[in-house]
Parts: sequence; structure tokens; C-alpha cells
Amino acid sequence: MNIQDLLSPTRVLFNLKANDKHEVINELIDILDADGKLSDREQYKAAVLLREMEFSTGIGMGIAIPHAKDASVKEAALTLGLSHKGVDYESLDGTPAHIFFLIAVPADSNDIHLKVLSYISRKLMHQEVRDRLLAAKTYEDILAAFKD
Amino acid sequence: MKLLAITSCPTGIAHTYMAAESLQMAAKAMGIEMKVETRGSVGVENEITLQDINEAHAIIIAAGTNVDREKFQSLAIIDASVQDAIKNPKGLIEQAVSTKKIPTVTTSTITPTVSGKTGAYKHLMTGVSYLIPLVAAGGLIIALSFIFGIEAFKEKGTLAAALMDIGGGAAFALMVPILAGFIAHSIADRPGLVPGLVGGMLASKIGSGFLGGIIAGFLAGYIALWLKNNIKLPKTLEGLKPVLIIPFFSTLIIGILMIYVIGTPVKAIMDVMTEALKGMSSANAGFLGLILGAMMAFDMGGPINKAAYTFGVGLLGSNVFEPMAAIMAAGMTPPLGLALATYIAKKKFTPEEQESGKAAGVMGLSFITEGAIPFAAADPMRVIPSIMVGSAVAGALSMIFSCALRAPHGGIFVLLIPNAVSNLGMYIVAIAAGTIVTAIMLSVLKKNLPSNTTPL
Repeated sequence: MNIQDLLSPTRVLFNLKANDKHEVINELIDILDADGKLSDREQYKAAVLLREMEFSTGIGMGIAIPHAKDASVKEAALTLGLSHKGVDYESLDGTPAHIFFLIAVPADSNDIHLKVLSYISRKLMHQEVRDRLLAAKTYEDILAAFKD
Repeated sequence: MKLLAITSCPTGIAHTYMAAESLQMAAKAMGIEMKVETRGSVGVENEITLQDINEAHAIIIAAGTNVDREKFQSLAIIDASVQDAIKNPKGLIEQAVSTKKIPTVTTSTITPTVSGKTGAYKHLMTGVSYLIPLVAAGGLIIALSFIFGIEAFKEKGTLAAALMDIGGGAAFALMVPILAGFIAHSIADRPGLVPGLVGGMLASKIGSGFLGGIIAGFLAGYIALWLKNNIKLPKTLEGLKPVLIIPFFSTLIIGILMIYVIGTPVKAIMDVMTEALKGMSSANAGFLGLILGAMMAFDMGGPINKAAYTFGVGLLGSNVFEPMAAIMAAGMTPPLGLALATYIAKKKFTPEEQESGKAAGVMGLSFITEGAIPFAAADPMRVIPSIMVGSAVAGALSMIFSCALRAPHGGIFVLLIPNAVSNLGMYIVAIAAGTIVTAIMLSVLKKNLPSNTTPL
């Protein structure tokens, strides 16, 4: 399984409109829902917000990864949003976030999806991957950022 | 220098791996070798081995979930959150590098622990170590019920009946399954637990007692281990192996073995043994106490001691309480006797030994036989025979007086609970007699210290 199986071109937003944390989550969930990956939008959103309450998924370095593993998810899916102006995501390091990965995993997810997600998570810790994501103009640029 | 780390977070989807990567990157940049075990939703990956622990300087535990740290007691542990590891890996690594390595703990002087031993003995002792607190809780709660009178629990709806239900009905019913389950867990790790528990439960139901439980635990463990290593599945089905395939087959196999092959003969052995112990003449009982007592003192917490102790604890499950009493008495007298000897024969002990005599006294009262080890190590040829004779006397007297003990531990403190020990007065006599015998024998055998080493 590859990243493109989890992240379709329709679920990449190169210019988020959102101005705060709540709007970002809404905007990303809208895309995910419009793509038919959710059986219950509100339930999934509640699960994401619940996870945010434990501690912010704004991990610093300009990244946030709101996520939930919930029965309302039909199949594992990623949604990527970029915001060049940056959004205050209550990040751990206090800086605005620019790269948003919304992760949706069904309650009974299999290992293969989780492996891909762990791979992406590791990649995001590298400065050059983040730089390439922020500079991406096309879906292919995004895939390429994770490739090597 | 080598460092270890464990990362783990509640959902285990992203942060676990981000923290791992972040630590690894920082370690690499700093030129430090680092191994990171991730515990995410995929399971444990890149698992830390015993060899890693031996080679490592310190471990960073960056976890939002509970991590069992017993395994790492020889290492300095840096506690951190997953967020810390993502945000400030360098700081954590610096902290880990600068902590002093804990000198390898020589636990063997206090308790010859399970960790150093291998093979069957280690598995059995792991099972017993999980069993003891359960038996202690159950035994003491049953003893509490006896406060209301020895038959009070037969009256339904009373507190005494409730206490008996908790201690006897529930806690003691779990004894054999827990013993078998954790023997199997020790052998095969997690896959062993389920067949072990079920095998133990069957041993208990069939009436083959703790002997059956020990056999069930070993069989279940090796069956599960074999299945774990020999079942090969296509990658897509691999996920079913730990949750479905191994539990199903291992439990089925151990269950059938227990019911059709092992249960009945072991029950027969167990019945014979129980009957023999219950109907023993006082001369025979005294002899059993003598042997058990000498075993308790022989290696002070080593395999022989543990064999006697396991025997006593196991019999509690078959409602045979006398050997347990003899065993505890015999386990208390070695340190108590030594403590008394340092008091009555001051000239034969160095000031340091007199000090450790006091500590030994406290350990004796608490039924920690290991308190005798420092003395035995210094002068085995005189100390070990003395404590064996004292313990044999205590064990034999306890059996002859038909003292019974319903809890597997507790030393002097359990004596304070009414009815936990039957024939309490004579039990104290037995312990005192053993203590005095050891003290006198040692005082006679030990030579006076050469005068130049006695400062007084």
C-alpha cells in the first residue's frame, strides 16, 4: 500500500481558508465527508475534538495531525491541508501550524493502514519533507515529498 | 554509549512514531547510538532485548501509557511525555547521557531473584510470584471471616459469609489458574496466558490442584510457544495469529490434554497426598515438618527453600494448612536465631555483624529468610547447620502441635489476626524453640573473635 491509496488528489487542499483551529478541523472534515469516507460526520468530529482535548495534536514545527480512530470512519483516509499564512493550532511550541494532516482510521483498522500512517508520521519529523510539502504546487509534488 | 527509548501514546497512530523518529534523528546528529522501541497500534516494533539492556547506559520512556519498568531496573530511567520527545529530543538525550549509570544491583544478596535463573525453575517461580499476593489477600480475608467465629461464614447473608466468598470463593478459586497462566506467560509471553489460565482452571475443576496447575502451565506455555514459532501464515492473515489462531488451538489442545490425559491421574496423586497429609500420625507429621524446616533453612530463599514454600502454598488450595504453618515458622527462625546469637554471644561477632543482627531480627519477624544470608555467606560451615537444625525443630514442633496457617506470608503480623493461625500459643512456642536452638548451637560452634579485631 502506498500513500496515494490513503490520500487521493481530491483530498489535498493547497490553500486553507480557515483562520483558527476549529475552522481547520471543520474544513478538513468537510472534504473527507464529501469524499464519502465517513458514515457519521458529527460522530467523527466529536472523536477528533475529544482527542484534541487530551493534548493538542499541533506537535510544533508547523505541523498538526488531528486524528481519530472511530467506528464512524468507513475506510482509512488522509486529508491534507496547507495554509501559507499559518493558523494558531495551540501547538506545543506556540508557533502557527502550516501543514495539517487529518487522519481517519476505522475502529477495526488493519495493520497495513497503520503502517503507512506510522511511515508518514516519521517522515514529517524531517525538515526537508516539511519544506517540500509547503512548497508543493501539485498532488505529484506531495507524493514526491514522501518518496525519498 | 548506547541509549534506549520506548515511545507510546494512547491512540498509537502518529505520535508514537513521530517521537521515535525525533529521538533517533537527534541521537544520530549527536553521534549517539540509540534503539527506540515503538508501542503503537501496530503493536510492539523494534523490541528492546535483554542484550540491549545490558549494553545500554540509560532509557528514555516517552509514553502516555503505562510501561512496565521492572525490566529496566538496572538502567537510569528518564521519564518524559511523548510531546517532550517530539519537541525536545536533544534535551532528553543530554539528560540521559549525563545521568550516572546505576551500578548493577546485586539483588542476589537479599533475594536470589528469578531474573538470574533460567529454564523451568524461572518459569515456575514467575508463576509463584504472581500467586503469592493473591493467596495472601485471599488467605487474610478468610482469616478475617474467622474473627466472627470459625463457623460463622456458614450463616448466609452475614459479613463473615461475604468475607469467605471473597477470599475463598473468588481469590482462592483463581489460585491455580493464575499459577498456570503465568507459568505459561513466562514461557511463551503473551500467547501463553490464555491457554495457561484455561488449563489451570480445568486443573482446578478436575481437582488436580496445584500439581495439575503446574503441569498445565508448562504444557500450555510450550504449546503456545511452539505454535507461535511454527505457524506460518500469509501476510494478510498474520494479524489473526495472536488474537485468534494461537489462542484457539493452544487452548483447545491444553483443554483436551487436561481432561482426557493429565487431569485424572494427577487428581489421584493429589488426593492421595492430601489424604496422607490430613490423616498423618503425629510422628509422621513431625518428620514432614522436620524435612520442610531443614529445606527452608538450607539455602535461605534459594531453589530448595522455594520448593518447600511452593509445596506449602499449593496445599492451601487443597485446604491443608499445617505444612504452611511449619514452613513459615521454619522460615522465620534462621534470621531470628542469628539475631539472638549476636545478642547472647557478643564476643563472637564483629560490631558490624551485631548491627546486621538487629536487621536480621526484623527480617525474621517478617518471614524474610534471606535475612540470614549475610551471616551464612561469611561463615557457611557453622551458620548453615545451625539454622537448619533450628528450622527443623520449629517445623517439626509446629506440625506436632497441629498448628495451621491460612495465609502464605506475613510473619509475626499474621499472628495478630485472630484465627489466622490455629493453636497460636504452641505456634509461638515452636518458633521460639527453633530460634533458641539456632542461637545456642551457633554460640557453641562459633569461635571467639581474635582479640585484635574487637575494638572494645
